[in-house]
Amino acid sequence: MPAFRAKELKGDVRQPWGTIVAFLLPALTFYVALTAYPAIRTLWNSFHRVLPRREEFVGIANYSELIKDEIFWKAVSNTVTWACISPVIEVTVALLLALALYAKVPGARFFRVAWFTPVLMSYIVVGILWMWIYNYDWGPLNTLLRAIGLGALAQPWLGSPDTALGALILVTSWMWVGFNMVVLLAALHSLPKDVIEAAELDNCGWSAKLVFVIIPLIRATLLNLVVLSFIGKMKIFDLVWITTKGNPLWSTETVSTYVYKRAFEWTTFDLGYPSTIATVWFVIVLATVLLLTWLFRTREKLEY
Amino acid sequence: MPVLTRTLVLLALSLYTAFAAGPFVWAAMLSLRTTTEIHLNHFAFPNPAHWEKFPDAWYNSNYATYFMNSIEVVIAAVVVLTIVGAMAAHCLARYRFRLNRVIYFILFSTIIFPPQITIIALFQILVNYGLYNSKLGLTLVYVALQLPLTIYILESFFARLPADLFDAARMDGYSDWEIFWKVSLPIALPAVATTVILNFILLWNEFLFAVVLITDEANRTLPLGIQRFIGDTQEDIGMIATGLMIAIVPVIIVYAFFSEKLIQGMTAGAVK
Repeated sequence: MPAFRAKELKGDVRQPWGTIVAFLLPALTFYVALTAYPAIRTLWNSFHRVLPRREEFVGIANYSELIKDEIFWKAVSNTVTWACISPVIEVTVALLLALALYAKVPGARFFRVAWFTPVLMSYIVVGILWMWIYNYDWGPLNTLLRAIGLGALAQPWLGSPDTALGALILVTSWMWVGFNMVVLLAALHSLPKDVIEAAELDNCGWSAKLVFVIIPLIRATLLNLVVLSFIGKMKIFDLVWITTKGNPLWSTETVSTYVYKRAFEWTTFDLGYPSTIATVWFVIVLATVLLLTWLFRTREKLEY
Repeated sequence: MPVLTRTLVLLALSLYTAFAAGPFVWAAMLSLRTTTEIHLNHFAFPNPAHWEKFPDAWYNSNYATYFMNSIEVVIAAVVVLTIVGAMAAHCLARYRFRLNRVIYFILFSTIIFPPQITIIALFQILVNYGLYNSKLGLTLVYVALQLPLTIYILESFFARLPADLFDAARMDGYSDWEIFWKVSLPIALPAVATTVILNFILLWNEFLFAVVLITDEANRTLPLGIQRFIGDTQEDIGMIATGLMIAIVPVIIVYAFFSEKLIQGMTAGAVK
């Protein structure tokens, strides 16, 4: 690709509105009908009681109920825990693995493919597999523990409120480490070779090279991955739904599963209250993502 | 690296590989064994391999229906997505007009929306229009769902095409539509392939919208079918494993042929 500046060369100066509208109309129709309108309708719902045949305005009653809803806050705490722990594990392990491949260990191609595979499977498949892995009687995890004489540690990993959330967090990390690794490897390979060689000439140690040269250079990618992983976990539904459905004792309830339960499982038949949860959660997610982006942006500027 | 460190690193990497790929290999082994065999030993090799379990799962558990439903919905959604997304991306990359960046930002920003913000109302809307519990309804929702990512990937590719190319095409008498259809799109084929493969895998695995918008047995997609299958067969681990493998196989095939494209697609969003 020649060194064009994309922005300068972008298209005609004149504005053929007919053509522009024709090109954008299909996409905008989908957007308005199936994204914008539903989002606004959810907001509208949140101030109403929405029963199958009847809707009535209730003001902020749903919101004040939400503040006192202990299950909701439990779900928020679980989801936020998940969204804060996962990115740290995923990105750290992924970085170590990517560095190993970058250092050209033998069999790098095979490793890369093997590590990436989990992310291709759906949460449904993954969930069922890990339910078996965590099985108390014959699951590989407990079998392994018993085999190495740690049988006392064997337990129903998804059945106990103390371990269930942690066990599921491990599953998502298992799934996503490979993906993060591949992205980081691409970032490492795009680094200017001379900078790293210069560090080597300066007789810079391995860990010093990592902390002072490599990490600052791939900072933007690292932060992107953190944000991406964070957003993904704030939405998590499938894995929980197929494995624990939020049990035991709400210990794995996430906001997504709780919204689903209130809207489609509980016999309250009211779509207003779950819409309120969705609206509040939407605002929280949006605000956090904006905050994170802003935090990382300003730090970036200060450094240079 | 000194030999000792090197050995230790390789050992750690091998252990991690066993952890990453082990569950999949184990599931593949289970899928070729009967539940009776599995209960005797959960970790033995399939001997003899029961290949007949695959046709058995396919014909006796409605798997054929689930599979074809998934194929229909996903392929229809991907075709529409590619055309609609490419048109919008081409337009946003090529024409300079007021509101261009505003529209781009509005379309793109929905990437971070948690699905709950639309799903309850989508349920209501599809019920109102008689599209609830239909493959058409699910397909349309899937298009809307993946549109932001598709436009994002394609726009950044189209934006890098030199304007000279379009000026030359215009001088040759191409219309705006022909420029898109005969010039832009063929050149953008690599990027288009990336979005097609990425969307295929993401939608093939999609569960939340399917579980809310589809209830009829006849319309279930594969992930819903698997969930149903577990409910029905309960402890029949061998059969469930066979079912899981059937769901994984298409993804593995796509991955085997297009692994580079797929990885590109998945990383496109992550690396700026």
